[in-house]
Amino acid sequence: MIKQWLAQFWDDIKSSTDAGLLGVARFVGLLYGPIGRNLRIDEAWRKALRYRLAAHVGWRHALGGITYLLLIVLVVTGVLLSFYYRPSVEEAYPSVQHIVSEVSFGWLIRDLHAWCANLVVIVALAHMARVFFEASYKPPREMNWIVGLALLGVVLAFGATGYLLPWDQWAYWTVTEVLDAVAMIPLVGGLVADAIMGDAIVSGATLSRFFALHVIVLPWITLALLSYHFTLIRRRGIAPPVSTDSGGSKSRLSGMRPEEAQEPGRPFFPNHLLRSFAVAVLTLAIAITLAILFPRPLGDAANPYLLPNELVSTWVPVDVSLALIRFTGLWGLTVFSILGLSLVLLPVFDRRPERALRQRPVAVAFGLIFYVGFAAAWIVGQQIRSVPPSARPQPEIVGEEGSPGAELPLPELGPTPPVPNPEGAGREP
Amino acid sequence: MRMPSLVVTCAALGVLLGMPADVTATNSWPVAEQQQVSDTTYGCLICHAEKRRSFTMGIHSERGIQCHDCHGGNPASFERDVAHRGRFLGSPDKLETIQLCSTCHADAGQMRQYGLPADQLAEFRTSRHGQLLLERGDDNAPTCTDCHDAHTILPSEDARSNVHPTHIAATCARCHEDETLMGGYGIPVNQFSEYRESAHGNAVFEQANFAAPTCTGCHGSHAALPPGVTEIVNVCDKCHVLIGRAFSQGPHASATREGTLPGCLGCHSNHGTERVSPDAIASLCANCHEADSRAALTGMELQEKVVYAVQELVAAETAIAEMLEAGHQVSNERFRYQTALTSFLERAQVHHSLDLDRLEDISLQLRSDTELIKATAESFAEERWEHKLLLVPVWFLTLSAVVFAWFKLREVER
Repeated sequence: MIKQWLAQFWDDIKSSTDAGLLGVARFVGLLYGPIGRNLRIDEAWRKALRYRLAAHVGWRHALGGITYLLLIVLVVTGVLLSFYYRPSVEEAYPSVQHIVSEVSFGWLIRDLHAWCANLVVIVALAHMARVFFEASYKPPREMNWIVGLALLGVVLAFGATGYLLPWDQWAYWTVTEVLDAVAMIPLVGGLVADAIMGDAIVSGATLSRFFALHVIVLPWITLALLSYHFTLIRRRGIAPPVSTDSGGSKSRLSGMRPEEAQEPGRPFFPNHLLRSFAVAVLTLAIAITLAILFPRPLGDAANPYLLPNELVSTWVPVDVSLALIRFTGLWGLTVFSILGLSLVLLPVFDRRPERALRQRPVAVAFGLIFYVGFAAAWIVGQQIRSVPPSARPQPEIVGEEGSPGAELPLPELGPTPPVPNPEGAGREP
Repeated sequence: MRMPSLVVTCAALGVLLGMPADVTATNSWPVAEQQQVSDTTYGCLICHAEKRRSFTMGIHSERGIQCHDCHGGNPASFERDVAHRGRFLGSPDKLETIQLCSTCHADAGQMRQYGLPADQLAEFRTSRHGQLLLERGDDNAPTCTDCHDAHTILPSEDARSNVHPTHIAATCARCHEDETLMGGYGIPVNQFSEYRESAHGNAVFEQANFAAPTCTGCHGSHAALPPGVTEIVNVCDKCHVLIGRAFSQGPHASATREGTLPGCLGCHSNHGTERVSPDAIASLCANCHEADSRAALTGMELQEKVVYAVQELVAAETAIAEMLEAGHQVSNERFRYQTALTSFLERAQVHHSLDLDRLEDISLQLRSDTELIKATAESFAEERWEHKLLLVPVWFLTLSAVVFAWFKLREVER
């Protein structure tokens, strides 16, 4: 009976022209059973998988996929961590200690989560650099560039909110610093900082907010943006090689064509998927290796009354902004942030069809400044073991506005009569 | 004050020579005119306006005492000659100052209401300052106002006071750092600078711990005198009770009683009060004991034990820091470390009795705690090392998968 069952299973798999993935679905009856007849799953699969990728799609295009994979790892490890993590001032730190020291493989899950959070920023930036220097953001793909930048913003927000959750001294004071920096933004900074802090200082209210943002709000935003990102890739296709002008047309100059069309290119399934598999496995192995060899240390428990001697940052954006503030001042950070933000508007202004590097020197120069500056600041920032700036002596507050009392002189002691005779003070004649 | 009135001089001599203070006389003494004078009609201020500010800051003004209560004269008068007439004391000299202050401050009946002692004069007579001033008439010796100020007299609890714990050392140093002044008495001038660096000075100045002694804590305030050789142990014993008890059980105690050893100062300095560092114990013993004597050997054994205990504590501390950084809960280890620290402090006390057997017991106790901390840390470190073994299967699977993908890719692309 079982032998027969297995033989049929094997035959089904062998009879499939595709690789094993569809074979399983077919065997279960999804593809050829009544469900398959009604829902036409087989057709849907074929439509989804059977297309060709243009020949110029190479390993460098894997960066976006790696970012997606890292996000998936972050979701999985994040869910596992949330089984044990408790977001309250009293329990956050002990629960992280519990995860790291007592839960089986908890240390690996936590370090993997922390490392992937860093890697995802780096890989996302690399992905962005690929798109930028190949000018893939030009029409008709300008919307996807903007969605991509929104995703980068979400990733940074993920990191900023997640950084507080261990509730150790480094987390506490780094977030305090970041919120101080946010409050310095003109006009809206104070309001925003107050709104996300929820208290006069970073406290339990902040922890709750950050946790809610980190595990509820941001994941859904990410899901929506990612879906849109991927849909746009399917609709607009992968950008053609740099040498060919996009022509400014909205036509579907896609890198993807149906397999039936006898054009050059690589079939997505299984050829491209196999490559993706190899890249994914290597990425995972590297992340796990980093997590095992370089675990993120845990500081002392957060203490609002005690400034740590040094802040050890383990998150890329913090390193970068630290280095910028240290060596170029707040203005340097502002200019750099504006430079980064102006990338959003890039496809709005840069609509000409030229895509080769030499034909668009201004954009390339700005991009180089941003990326080289980012890399340099990151490397330098890692070396900085700083005391938080709020530990430095603050300028003395000289009387608040509206209280003129501070300006007033001390009250007079009372009238003292004039001295009639300066001589003979206290002496008998 | 060139011409003190006869009454004042007589009264001053009477007090200085130890006559019982005449209560009725002191009560009636300074007030020339028993009349209430309001602030604005107070004659003294017409000329002495500048004294007003400094005097009103002090405690005497707060208690309703006015110029004429000490200086006499007639405050109701606005003319100098009239105001300075009668029983009047312009600027009293050192002896007169003591007499003046003592009229109230040596009177227990008057001081009771303020909760103040009335023995300052009696104490002052026994002090070196008092001996110089009262017996030899040495004008270099300080009088009341030299330390307490003449007009801005503040209680010692007031942080602005010259005699507040944070200021006492500086107040004494005003004279005791003056080389020309101290040269005449053969007294060194480095006490303040030594004290500032000492454990006591650090406690007072850095940690605002006013339980730590200032100059007066050991020398006495009004009865200031360096303690004698046999007295030193008792002076230190006031605060270092347990060490004193251990010391009295040891062999050095009898030498101290006989006066051949200056008590605690045999090993520790007086104003510097520096700790003897653990690795300097044996050489300290060698200062007095011969190299191969039994005492010198005991010293070496003591040193070994202390150095070992310090090493153990440092190792335990590092172990805890490492565990914490790796994310382990360390509350048990921290508690154990506190226990070890307590043993270490107990050891420091027993140390002064030179009782090697008891020291051995305490060392064992300390070691049992630190060893346990270190063992826990080691087992955790081993566990962390074992994590690295996971790399082997991870990379085996990864490379197999990549190789599989590679071959499959070649197959499908052919």
